[in-house]
Amino acid sequence: MTQESRWEPTLLGFLCRWCSYAGADLAGTSRRKYPANIRVVRVPCSGRVDPLFILKALRLGFDGVLVSGCHPGDCHYQTGNYYARRRMALTKRFLEYIGIEPQRIQASWVSASEGQKFAQVVTEVTKEVKEIGPNRLFTSERQGNGTKATR
Amino acid sequence: MEQKLRDEAKSLLEQGKVDYIIGFEPGSLKFTTTPLITGAQGDISRLVINPFIVNNLSVFLTEVKGRVGIVTKGCDSRSIVSLMQDNKIAREDVVILGIPCSGIIDLSKVEKLVGKSRDEIDDINRDDDRVVVTVNGSKKEFPVSETLFDNCLGCEFPTPQEYDILLGEPTLPPSDKYQAASLAKIKQLKAMPAQQRWKFWESEFDRCIRCYACRNICPACFCQRCFVEESEPQWLLPVPRWQENLMFQVMRNIHVAGRCTDCGECERACPMNIPLRSLTREMYGIVDELFHYKAGMDKDASPLLAAYEATDTGDFIR
Repeated sequence: MTQESRWEPTLLGFLCRWCSYAGADLAGTSRRKYPANIRVVRVPCSGRVDPLFILKALRLGFDGVLVSGCHPGDCHYQTGNYYARRRMALTKRFLEYIGIEPQRIQASWVSASEGQKFAQVVTEVTKEVKEIGPNRLFTSERQGNGTKATR
Repeated sequence: MEQKLRDEAKSLLEQGKVDYIIGFEPGSLKFTTTPLITGAQGDISRLVINPFIVNNLSVFLTEVKGRVGIVTKGCDSRSIVSLMQDNKIAREDVVILGIPCSGIIDLSKVEKLVGKSRDEIDDINRDDDRVVVTVNGSKKEFPVSETLFDNCLGCEFPTPQEYDILLGEPTLPPSDKYQAASLAKIKQLKAMPAQQRWKFWESEFDRCIRCYACRNICPACFCQRCFVEESEPQWLLPVPRWQENLMFQVMRNIHVAGRCTDCGECERACPMNIPLRSLTREMYGIVDELFHYKAGMDKDASPLLAAYEATDTGDFIR
């Protein structure tokens, strides 16, 4: 087996404290299986996620970033996820233009009762990122599977 | 138009309606102008209007205190309105002296066309759809499509959208046939595969020296403290490596999304000739396509990213 075929992507997930994080919790307590590739950061709201976080994660060598929040209309703060949606749409399109694969930037709405959906989203995202391969965007200065931060 | 500007500026100062006038005066080099900020009536005769008034003067508005009269082209007026949308300036503190603009001449394009440097060129004049260049007494004509700045060729609103005094008859935007020239570089980039595009930007930003001229000249970049200078957390290393340089510019573009009016100042300010407008203009296009929003059109509207619509696109969300 080559080094490449054993490669597993590392994803960074920003999960909203009220919906998606609870959804991830539910996935765990109901013993749903999903790939262990995701590292989770809990944020107060998907509206907290600055495009800078996404870019920094890619810069550090994460292979993909998932931002997940409440469904439209369900935001604990009424409107946070609507702002997040605008910001994410812009960021995704713009990063695509400069040459970053669109699969690396992902978003989802997962409610607190959707443990099943969370497991499914992580499975799909992991599969997609695995298909496009390791994040070599910024790697001209290093070799191997990313920096210390992502290992 | 120049005389009318001087008369209006003088009476504004005389009547005490403004404390300062921001305009253009002749630069120290041929075919250039430089910003003039003055409160003295004696300086008014230095004001000029010509096809080389390149700067977007609205960048000074957040720095000059008091009431200000400002010479404004179409794109600049949108920057001013955008600053009002962000509550950076108040409408009543600004007297907008609007210039219906017919495009700014890109001297470097002219120099290339005639193969002479600026000191060897005697005169450059705009004549309707042509630019007349005089070298050694002989005249040469060039179409505007080859001599104006790229962003001027794609200008949508050459006449200021917001003004107090309009110094001439409103002008029409350049015809659609120039649009293609305005977007040629972006079209070329979009035709490349993603990887090649990334390589392109890598090679461009390898040159960047992080002087921040693009940020400092941008009227939409008004943060008191820029994220690049933050040390806790340190988002970016201060070292000018291409990775950091590109990240800086991408974030800057996201920050000015919905504020950028495609005035093209960042690209002109860049000492390393990085084609920054190929980034800003694409962001401008994305904003328009996704949210049908154009920066600085309505001073009472919310800034793009401080608002939302329930119907905003969400087709990329799982």
